[in-house]
Amino acid sequence: MKVNEWCMYCGECAGVCPRSLIEVRETCLIFNENECKDCRICIQVCPVQALYKEE
Amino acid sequence: MSIKTDILVIGAGPAGSSAAKHAALNDAKVLMIDKKSEIGSPKRCAEGVSKEGLKALGIEPHCKWIAKELTGVKFISPNGTSVWLNEERVKLPEAGYILERKIFDKHMAMNAARAGVEIMVKTIATGLKRSEEGLIITAECMDQSFEINAKIVIAADGPESRVGRWAGLKTTLKPKNMESCAQFEMAGVEMEDSNSIEFYFGSVAPGGYAWIFPKGDDIANVGLGIITTQTDKTAYEHLLEFVSNCPSTQNAQPVELNIGGDPVGGMLKKLVTDNLVLVGDSASQVSPLTGGGIISAMKAGVFAGEVTAAAIKEGNYSQKRLKEYQDKCEEEMVKTFNKELKVKNYLLSLSDEELDSIAKAFKNTEFEKINTKEIIKVLIKVSPKALLKLGKIF
Ligand SMILES: Cc1cc2nc3c(=O)[nH]c(=O)nc-3n(C[C@H](O)[C@H](O)[C@H](O)COP(=O)(O)OP(=O)(O)OC[C@H]3O[C@@H](n4cnc5c(N)ncnc54)[C@H](O)[C@@H]3O)c2cc1C
Ligand code: SF4
Ligand code: SF4
Repeated sequence: MKVNEWCMYCGECAGVCPRSLIEVRETCLIFNENECKDCRICIQVCPVQALYKEE
Repeated sequence: MSIKTDILVIGAGPAGSSAAKHAALNDAKVLMIDKKSEIGSPKRCAEGVSKEGLKALGIEPHCKWIAKELTGVKFISPNGTSVWLNEERVKLPEAGYILERKIFDKHMAMNAARAGVEIMVKTIATGLKRSEEGLIITAECMDQSFEINAKIVIAADGPESRVGRWAGLKTTLKPKNMESCAQFEMAGVEMEDSNSIEFYFGSVAPGGYAWIFPKGDDIANVGLGIITTQTDKTAYEHLLEFVSNCPSTQNAQPVELNIGGDPVGGMLKKLVTDNLVLVGDSASQVSPLTGGGIISAMKAGVFAGEVTAAAIKEGNYSQKRLKEYQDKCEEEMVKTFNKELKVKNYLLSLSDEELDSIAKAFKNTEFEKINTKEIIKVLIKVSPKALLKLGKIF
């Protein structure tokens, strides 16, 4: 998962990740990529489209 | 390093500070941590609260954190028809305040500190495991990693709500239950009445609504919440459209951008497990209709503080003992939230045209005289099918 520079660390993506894989720190996001099921719910809810998956 | 405490509160928002303060006032040893370096900042909120709500919490309004006192509410339909409820047209039960949340949240944390709560900022909880005496929380502050041993954890970690999940509670929200919000604080906002809050309904904010909450002079929070399953655009894109089309913001400029999730699906079914309770947004204790969660978070905080402190005195931190907290929250909130969910589903089922017809029908109504029967008469004319969704709410 790639995080664009304009992420504002609001945590909405973490609230909906069905596998609880997103840790939101004050100024960085940490993904547990190994467990990610690529459901893209986190991408869908982000208010500013700060997430994208590198194909 | 290892820290021991009776109660660990994770998150110093309105829920956490309220819970921490009331636990400390009831003689528990309380530590509250927050990952932010400044409590209350950045704000993720339109900052509206009811006077009634603050009063019920016994909180005296303070000029340092009240930005504006309100006397009216305006509802605006998609074609711009407005229904205005102000003190001239109707005796409003309690108008509200617009807060300065960056100051309010800090002020509440300071009150918790004065009640005896120990506070650590820039301290993030990263995991949780069970021990014989309670819970062990792993945490980090700057370059230090350490453990916190707590008999009870109050999870007040907001809409992320990961702490409860670590303890086995189901706090993950479906996207349809999480409003995605974006807001500008703007200067140069031209409102017809800068003492009223404005709500805009319809396709301007699919699944939610847009708002303008005045903060004094020409300043206002201009924002919206959407349900992302109902639109291909982001909340931010909808906000840009709203601001460029809304007559009040044609000459306004942003001084701040706020974004965030608002859990609007109704309170979670299970709020407690052994040694842990969920409070505030982490428990979805938010009005499903308005998205307002400050007052309910703080009310739940009072219950959580009192019940957990009593549990500490008794030496019983079991789910069974802590269930008293859940019972109190259910009594206080669930009935209202269920009604609000029905009203929300009704409003969301209406097309832009139907919303316009309702606004037109109510525009010149003498609200002093209107009763439930008359409201229903108007709504039946507009859409009898949609009205069925309201069920037995009235
Ligand atoms: C755009 C928007 C507008 C809104 N407008 C209104 C409104 O006008 N009126 C209203 O009543 N409500 C409004 N709400 C809802 C309101 O903001 C929340 O209901 C309220 O803030 C809930 O308080 P809380 O303490 O539960 O959570 P929060 O205020 O979110 O506080 C949670 C705290 O936990 C901390 N935290 C999270 N994870 C960790 C961790 N692992 N370790 C340490 N700390 C952690 C966070 O840093 C944060 O400080 C709005 C919400 C949004 C998004
Ligand atoms: S929802 Fe978007 S802006 Fe918010 S933390 Fe996640 S990626 Fe960043
Ligand atoms: S794609 Fe799905 S599983 Fe992966 S991080 Fe996002 S929400 Fe979680």
